[in-house]
Parts: sequence; C-alpha cells; structure tokens
Amino acid sequence: MTCSVSLALSNVKSMSKCIVSYILKLLIRLGCISFQNSPKYISCLNPELELQFQYKVHTSLDVVEEKLSSIGKTSSDVRELYLGLLYSTEEHKMYPSMFRKLHTVYTDVVCNPFYIPGDPVVSKSFDTTVKNIMTGNA
Amino acid sequence: MSTDVFDFPPELCSKPLALIGLTGLDTLNNAVHRAIWDAFSSNRRQYRAPVKFKLLDPAHEFPPMKPKRTSYDWYIPKGILKRNWMNKHLNELPAVVVIFYELDWDDPLWNEKSIECASRVQSVRVALEGRSTRIAVILVQQTAPLPTGEDMLAAERATTLCTSCELNAKSLFVLPHGDHLQGYTHRLENAFYDLAQNYYHHEARNVKSHRDHLNKTTHQYLFVRHLFKMGFLNELKQEGHAAHKNYSQAYSSLLDLRMVDTNALEVKTVAGFINYKLCKLMFQLSLPRDAIAQFRKHTEFFKNRIGPKELTFEHHAWMSKQFCVFGDIFDEAIRQGLPALQTQHPGFYYQQAAQHAADRKEACLELCKAVNVYPEPDPLAGMNQLEFYGQRAWRPGKLSAEPPDPSKEKLGIQALQYQEKHRVNHAMVVIGLLGSAITQFKTYRCPRMRRHLVVQMAEEYYSSRDYGKALTLLTHMLWDYRCEKWWCLLTNILTLALSCAYLSANMQDYIVLSLEALGISSQFSPEQKTRIFNNVMKVLKKTVPDPEPDIPEEELKRARDLWTTAVSADPLAVAVDMTNITACVESKARFTQLQYKADQYVEIEVFIRSCCPHPLQFSRLSVTVNSPSYSSEFAVCESNSKDAHASDNPLLLFNCNEVRRYVCQFLPDVQDVGKEIQIGSILLHLGSDQECSAILRFSGTGAESASSDGMCPELQHFRQSPQNVPDFDNVRPLATAEIVPQDSHLQLEISHDLPALLGEWYPMRMVLVNKEYHRITGITAHVNLQTNGDESNIEQASKLYVTAELMPLPVIIYVGDLEQDSRVEKCFYLRAHRVGNRNIAVKVGQGTQRVENSYVQEKPISVPVVKPFDITAKFFSLKFEPIGKAFVKEPFIVMSYVNCTSPCPLIIEDSAVELSQQVSSVDAEIQSQLQSLRLKSGEIGAEAVCVTVGEARDQPVALGFYTLKWKREGSEGLVTSSSVTLPTVRVESIPLYVEMNLPAHGWHFGCILYVLHNCACCQSINKMKHSLLPQLFGCALYIIARLSVLQEYATRWCTLQLRILPESIHKMDYNLYPLLSGLVALPRLRLTVSDRSDIPIRQPQLTELLERSLPSHVFVMPQGKGNPAAVKVAS
Repeated sequence: MTCSVSLALSNVKSMSKCIVSYILKLLIRLGCISFQNSPKYISCLNPELELQFQYKVHTSLDVVEEKLSSIGKTSSDVRELYLGLLYSTEEHKMYPSMFRKLHTVYTDVVCNPFYIPGDPVVSKSFDTTVKNIMTGNA
Repeated sequence: MSTDVFDFPPELCSKPLALIGLTGLDTLNNAVHRAIWDAFSSNRRQYRAPVKFKLLDPAHEFPPMKPKRTSYDWYIPKGILKRNWMNKHLNELPAVVVIFYELDWDDPLWNEKSIECASRVQSVRVALEGRSTRIAVILVQQTAPLPTGEDMLAAERATTLCTSCELNAKSLFVLPHGDHLQGYTHRLENAFYDLAQNYYHHEARNVKSHRDHLNKTTHQYLFVRHLFKMGFLNELKQEGHAAHKNYSQAYSSLLDLRMVDTNALEVKTVAGFINYKLCKLMFQLSLPRDAIAQFRKHTEFFKNRIGPKELTFEHHAWMSKQFCVFGDIFDEAIRQGLPALQTQHPGFYYQQAAQHAADRKEACLELCKAVNVYPEPDPLAGMNQLEFYGQRAWRPGKLSAEPPDPSKEKLGIQALQYQEKHRVNHAMVVIGLLGSAITQFKTYRCPRMRRHLVVQMAEEYYSSRDYGKALTLLTHMLWDYRCEKWWCLLTNILTLALSCAYLSANMQDYIVLSLEALGISSQFSPEQKTRIFNNVMKVLKKTVPDPEPDIPEEELKRARDLWTTAVSADPLAVAVDMTNITACVESKARFTQLQYKADQYVEIEVFIRSCCPHPLQFSRLSVTVNSPSYSSEFAVCESNSKDAHASDNPLLLFNCNEVRRYVCQFLPDVQDVGKEIQIGSILLHLGSDQECSAILRFSGTGAESASSDGMCPELQHFRQSPQNVPDFDNVRPLATAEIVPQDSHLQLEISHDLPALLGEWYPMRMVLVNKEYHRITGITAHVNLQTNGDESNIEQASKLYVTAELMPLPVIIYVGDLEQDSRVEKCFYLRAHRVGNRNIAVKVGQGTQRVENSYVQEKPISVPVVKPFDITAKFFSLKFEPIGKAFVKEPFIVMSYVNCTSPCPLIIEDSAVELSQQVSSVDAEIQSQLQSLRLKSGEIGAEAVCVTVGEARDQPVALGFYTLKWKREGSEGLVTSSSVTLPTVRVESIPLYVEMNLPAHGWHFGCILYVLHNCACCQSINKMKHSLLPQLFGCALYIIARLSVLQEYATRWCTLQLRILPESIHKMDYNLYPLLSGLVALPRLRLTVSDRSDIPIRQPQLTELLERSLPSHVFVMPQGKGNPAAVKVAS
C-alpha cells in the first residue's frame, strides 16, 4: 500500500531546521482510500529554503514507504502513529511527529464536504493553526 | 593536477603485511631458485600467512639507521608524520632477512661451504647494523631429510653451522627442493611470520620506550607520531585490537593539538589518516557502529575548523574526501558481509561528499575569482617531496608557533587558488560522487532520494554547460515527480529543463516542456506562463524564442545561433507524446458503445480540455483507430475551407479551461467483424503544416489524466464543473469496441409436416428469400444432425439425403446466388430408422471469399419420428378357424393385418409376401389384396395367403417376410418400402391327408359330386398297407348314390374298406342328391383304422383330421320349377 499523506512543516526559528513530516497513518486503517504519496500541505516559514525542504520531505517518503510495507507484512498494529527517525543527515533531522492538534485540524479539513480527498489542503484555519504550531505559539 | 592534495597515499590504504626479505636466490639463472621464489611469492591466498616477500640481491642496501637519540630534551619536531616512514616499514625494511644457501649435510666440500655460508650471514648482519631485523638461514638441499634425531651427521653439522654463523638454532631451516615444495614453503613462511611478529613487537616496544622521554609542552607532535607508529607496527604484527587502541590514542592526542591556520592542513591531513585507519580497523573488527560513531565525531570536530579563509575550498575538499573515503570503507565492509540498512548505508556518505564537493566549488568560485596568474617562482615546488605529510611547500618543517612570512604566504595561497580554479573540474568531481551515491540509494530502495540526486547531478551538468546530458536526466526524472504530484518540485525541474532545452536549442523538448509548463499543475506565475506561451508560438512561427531567465550572458549568443539554424530547418513537425506529461491540453476519447454491428456507424467521442491561460488554436484533430490488421486515421472537425485557412478553424480554438466534445463517425470495415478495434491515438496539430507544427499525440485512454484523479475516480464526481460543458473529469475512457456481425436479411424458412414416419423419406423444404438490397452470392446451407447426448449413434439411426443418395454429415447444400427479392427452395429428406426426436440444425452462410461465416442464419428443427403402422399376422385353417399349429402338406391361411397408426392417411402402393423355402403358396401367384388401399389412422387392412408347409420340423417354421410399399397420402415423393418378418408356425407331420372337393353350393334335387381324396404322405411308412374304413353315415337328407364303380373292395354301400399305399392318392367320388334346400349338413365321413396295429396313425388323430379338413355343411339352393339344372354326375 503506497499510502501516506505527508504534511511538512518547517521551523526556522533556530539555526537547526527541523522538518516535521506528519504522517497520517490513520488513513491506512480506513483502507479504501490510498493516495500516491502526494503532498497534502507544505508550509515553510523561510520561503528561500522551501524547495530544499520539499526535496527533503519527498526523499524521506522512501523510508516511510519501506516502514509501512514492513508494517503491513509483520503486524496489524497500526495504532502506532509515529514512525521514528526518517532521515538523518548532517544538517537535518526529520521526524514524523504527531501533533494531536494538527491531527484534529486535519480531521476538520477532511470532514469538509467540499474537500475532495487527495487534493492539497487549502484552508485558512489550517494555515493559522500550523503556523502557530511552528512558531511555538500553539 | 591529476591527484588531489587530499588523496590518501597508497602506503596508508594498503593492508599492512609483515615484510620478509629473501636473499641468496638467483631467480634469473637458477631454475630451482626460481621455483622456490614462485612458491613463496605467488598465489598469496587468504589462508596464507599475512606476510609479504621481497627479493633482495646480495648487495642490497637497507635504509640507513639514524643516529640514536639519547635525550629528547632539546628536540623540537618539525612535523607530525614523516612521509617516508610507512613506506619504509612496508616495503624497504624487512622484519626478517632469509638467506638461502645450497648445502647438503653430506656435501663433500662441507667445510668450505659452511664457511662461505657463515660469511654471507655475516655480510647481511653488517648491512643491517644497528637494526634488530631477524636473520634466518635456509639450506636448500637435494636430498630429503631423515626424521629428526636419526641423522647424527646432520644434527652435528647443524650445530656447528649455527655456531659459525652465530645463529639461533631455531633460525636454521632446511628446504629440500624435490617434492612437496608448496608444503615446505607454507611451513617456512609461518615460521618467518613468527619471527616477524617478534620483530614488530620489539620495534613497537622500542617506540614506546621513546615516548617516556617526551614532555607535553614541546613534543605534542611526537605523541601523535609515536602512537601512530605503534599502531602501525601492531597492524604489521596483525594485532588489530592493539593497533585500534594505539590509533585511537593517537587520534585523541591529535585533537589535543592547538590548531591554527598554519598547521590546520597538517593536523587535518593526519587526522584524516588516523581516522581512516581507525574506521577501517573497526569495520574489520566487526564494530560498524563504533566506526560510524568515530566518523561522526571526526566530521563534527573538524566541520567548522576551516583553517585559512582564503583556502576554504581546501577544507571542503578535505571534508568531501573524508566522506568519500568513509563511503568506500563502508562499501567494502558491506561487500565483506556487513548488512546495511535503508537509513544507514554508504550512499549517505557519498551524498555528503558530493555536497562538500559542491561547497568546494562554490568556495572556489568565490575565492579564486581574481586569480589569473600563477606566481613565479613556483611556491609549490617540491610539494610531493616534503618530509612531512600535510605541510606547505613554501614553509616546510616550520613549527606552528612561528609566524609565517606574509608575502610568501600570500604567494603560496595564490598558487593554490590558481590551481584550484584552473586544474580542478569541480563539476565532474561532484557528478562522480553523486553517481556513487545514486548507485547506493538505488541498492537500498530509496527511489526518491535517488531522483533527488539525479536532479542534483543534472544541475551539475548544467553548470558545467553540458546541457544535453542535463536535459536527458531531467526529462527522465520529471515523470516520477509528476506521478506523485509534487508540483513545486516539478516546477523547479521544469524551469531548469526549459533552460537546458533553450540553451541546446532542442526544439522537441522545448515544446514538450513548455506545454507542460503551461499546464495547470505547474506553479509558474501567470507572467512566466505568458512568456512561455509566446515562446512556443514563436517557435511554431519559425522564429527564435526569447531566452529563459537566469541564463548566463555568455551563453546567449551561442544559443541564439543554434536556434536560428534549428528553426530554419525544413521539415518542422514535432511529434509530442502526451501520454506521460501533464500538459495544458488533455484529451479523452471513448467509443459510445461496447459493440457495433458491421453495418452500423462506429461513433467515437473525443473530449479535449485546454487549461492554457491563453487561447490555443489547433489546426487539425484526428483519431487513429487500430484494428488487428491495420490502423486508420479519421479526421475530426475538418474545416471546410482548404489548408489556407486551416489555422483559424473556430471549432478548434480553445479558451482557458474550455472543454469540447467532438464526434467522429465511420463505418467499420467488414474485415473487422468479430474483432476488436481500439482507439490508437488522438492527434492534435498545433501550428500550421507550412511553417512548423507540433503534433500532440494522446493515447485516448486518459492515461495522461489518470494522475490527476489518482486511485479513486469516484471522488471526481465531487469536483465541481461548469454547467453546459462536458464533464471532462468524469468521462470514463472506453478505448476498445467490438465489431459484431450485422443482422442478416436473408430469410430462411423450413416447411415440413410433422411428425416424420419411421423409415419414411421425410421431405423438408428450405425456402430462402433475399430481403437484402442487393444480390447475395454464394449461399450455402449446412444441415446437420445434432445429438442430444443420450443417443450416441444418431447417425446410424437417422440419415439425411438431398437426392436419393446418402450424404456425409454435415450435408452441404449449395444454393448459389440469389437476386434481390427472389426466393429459392431446396428440399432434403430425413430418414429415421428409430422412433424418437431428431434435432436438425440448418445454417445458412453467405460464402463469399472474404468472410467465412458471416451473415449466418441459423435454425434448429426438432422432428418427432413415429411409427406409421403395426403389422400383425394370424393363422387360420381352411375353414377360417384360428389354428395354433399346421400340419405337413396341409394348406392353411396366413392372414396379415396392417393397423394404421400414422396421424395422416397412408396409401398402400403394394404389398408382397415373400415365403421362405419350406413354405409354398397354394396359389400359383399371390396377388396383393391391399394394393392402392387408403388407410386412415386406426383403420386396419388385412390380406390372406394360403400356404402349405412341405415337411415337419422340430423348430417352428419361419414363414417369410411381409413387405409393404407405402407413402403418405398426397405426397408425390418417394414410396417407402417397409418389411416385417411373418410369425413362425409349428408344423406337425401326419401320414394321411383328406381333401374334399365340393361345389360351392348344390341345387335342390340336384346332384353333388363329392370327391374324397385320401392321400398318404408319410414316406417313412412306405410300402405299408393301410386299411381304412371310410364310412359315410347316411342320413335321410340325401339319397346317396352308389360308390365309385372303380372301387374294387366295396363290401357294403356307404362303407368300404380301402388301403392307401405310400405317396399315393385314393379318390372316392360320391354323388349326393339333396332333398332339402338351405344349409344342409353333409354326410360325415368316418375313417376307421383296421385292427392292424402297425399303422402309424391312431383313431383320435384320424377323427381330428377329418374334423379339421372336411366341411360339415353345404348350402343347397332351391331350384326353379320346370328347368332343372343339369347335374353333372360322376360317371
């Protein structure tokens, strides 16, 4: 199942940039819908670095895919929503970290009847919440 | 510069092996010596001792011994690691010197030779003066040695030789060169290895003892040097753990050094060496995690120790080298069996190496901009011959503390910058490293990482102005990003690819990329899209497009020239495969039905959507349809006017987000009947054929748009689409359709009268009427019997005939051509020999040459078969009384009954009785009594035949066959002949037969001639005399005339005795004169057997015979008066 919805956020407050890839594995449990690793929502506070971040997030999907496929094979326990360290290089650490708040906001987006599953997320309230999380105001 | 400053020296990278010097071997002239040398030096496998052999000539000079230092107090080291030290121990200074000498124990010149040997040992010892190199002597002998202790002479002489050579007894070896050379050398080299280990151990301790004299203030370099030496010697000794310990101590001592700009290079170089040794050892000792941790620590520590700012590129080059080398070690360890992970494999290190190489390039670009002159004199002269690793050529051996000469320093830096700028191909370095990384990421299933690296590689190619390669790489990568809908990344790649295409004037790719850039998925700004659109239009108008932004000025001129030639080239039709790109034009096509009849128009709907922000004018739209045999192209929406105005067909002008639907209709080819046709492609021409046109080829299956609706097409229904416009997103493509045969207008009727009668020539009339609008040629009908499963031999039970002759199944009836509205009738017959149902299938085909089995009309017919009649037969006596048996030669009547069971009346044409041999007819000729008889259902026709049987049999006698020729009433067809076997009858023999001839009636008062024939027919009682007493019992009704006058033995009237001889007939005539009229009883004849007992007939039999054979009454007619009929009286 090549299924993962990634939300990438970047926090540029400190020098060490941190990219949080938010993996909604819940969708796997829903089963019927699978998306082909396309980005849902990407936000980066520093627009100059956005391209690099996108590449980073994209490449980290390799590991996600591998982990998901091994999960599918070995155990049926998909309650674990964290996938652990995804990608590590000298300057970036990438964790899929699960923010409950983010999850809630995302659920709201998906519940919008005018939202077509699979499309990128375009929502003001989602934007605001995410920006708040990234800047640490949440 | 062919080799980089930071390339590791080979002596560092090679595996340290104990060095063993062999002397006294003349390999050039002596075959035995050659063989010995080969046995030692060649075929060094893993299992052999870790030693390296070196052949020394007799006058070999070893590296000179430095004077021994007694105190380090005033010694100030000039550097950390001497450049020649490792090489010296690896290749020049042997741990063991082995002296070969040819001497047998029983050599006649033993004394002289032993002295010579001793002098050789002595000269080697002198050459090695001051060193603790071990010396061993090998006596090469002709004879194989005796077991130890048995050869007294050998033991004695060995001792003396050892003494004269001042040699330890354990260092004297014997090598018989006859057999088993390999085995001896193998054992010898293990012995040498022991000696070598001993030597290195000693050396290491020696170095260690020096260390005790050092102090921390001035001798910090020496701490590193000595620890490194110990580590290296331990490695030579193959003591991995000890070496590891020494090296890590050396590494930490190194980190303690004060690092300033002047010694940064040296420290980093040595740090790199020690780190290399450490990591390699740790992988060998199966400590991969430690190795990775050590490397992390190493890079973390030195990451920000850039050194002189002017030489930042040098730092990046060093970092790049560190990562690259670690990647190599890691990769080698994996090849030795270390498992790697998706998240931890050499690829990451190669990638980092590439990253640093890119940084190096950037730093070089920035720092070396101004450097265009190489300083004179060359400050870098003699750089490769410096005494210490990692020092500057212009100030060798200077202590770090000394402040450098600023002018010299400046010149040196300038020289380095010049070299960096002009002699290093940075892009190729980066590309090489990226290539290694890509291979690794591919191996460890990181496709996206690999793609990212490929894009980086393309960027490098772009910067090194290899636009063609860059473009190729980028176009290959586009697809994956497109698939996963990373539009931002896609846009980035598109931008670069467009620049490449522009710079290499690749018109094909330029148009393809532009079309994709204009699409909805790219994230270009409207202004950029406008610029791209205008450029495409320019290219299609054969003019040079405007340059892409951010293109280096110096390349512009060249690109313009390329474009000028490109657009002026003559055949300018660019085919664009739209299957794999998400362009600004999308298309879907579908058949409106799954099946089309051959005479029906095939309809294809083509939907085209443009999301180009500017109006797009196409010149032509066509659809190609593939069938198994050929493909054909159908133009859709052709403009009425000719090509001159083709470019402004309003039907093909698309505004932004406009969707149009076109319908293409065509008649299918008859050849495709029964086959599948499919939409091959949709071709959309952009631009005009005269100038330049791009032919957009869509697959029509919507594969290109599949990426937009992902895995769940159902969800697309939620997408809003403007009203009154075809809902493009929800058009489901249907790319294939089947052509099925058209309905035939050839009318087929079969007429026949049910049911068929058993054995009948049952006629079936097939009427064909042509209702088509044309002539039908070559019509054939196939008639076949169908088994219904349970009847296996249906072909035997029923047969089909066209004429009277039998045809093999299936029966083919050739009808030929049939004009429009004309009809033809063909008849065929069914003969069934068993009752039941028959299923007949009639198929009519138009057997033209081209298409077999088209136009097929098929009709199944079920025909019940019934019996037409039942035939039974009964036997009667001549008196018409039913009899159960017959008697020999006594006539009886066979009566056959034909009981008609057919529902329709039958006409009996003829009937015949065919009697068997034993049976003969009484009448000379048997006339059919049923001829031309019409029998309705339930009626019975009967006929009688009078027959006799010639002789008696034990078995019942078969009478013969009864044959009936019949036909259905009203049929003019063939007459059917049906035969049945007549029943059998039991026949008994009787020796006597009585017959009476009597007229049918008598007249009142007339005379009746009454003749009695007595026939004996029993041949077995031939010659026997029979005495019979016929008695006529008189009655009042007759006046019985006297008996035959011929009767000889008449004794009384009416009673007479007679004898009948075998095979003879006795005839008696009586004249009766009836006195009454009406049915008058006849006088009864009584035969009595005489008393003679040998007569083979009994009285009851005789009585029964008479009862059976003679009529009892006669009808007497009254006679008119006056005219009495003459009565014939027997004379």
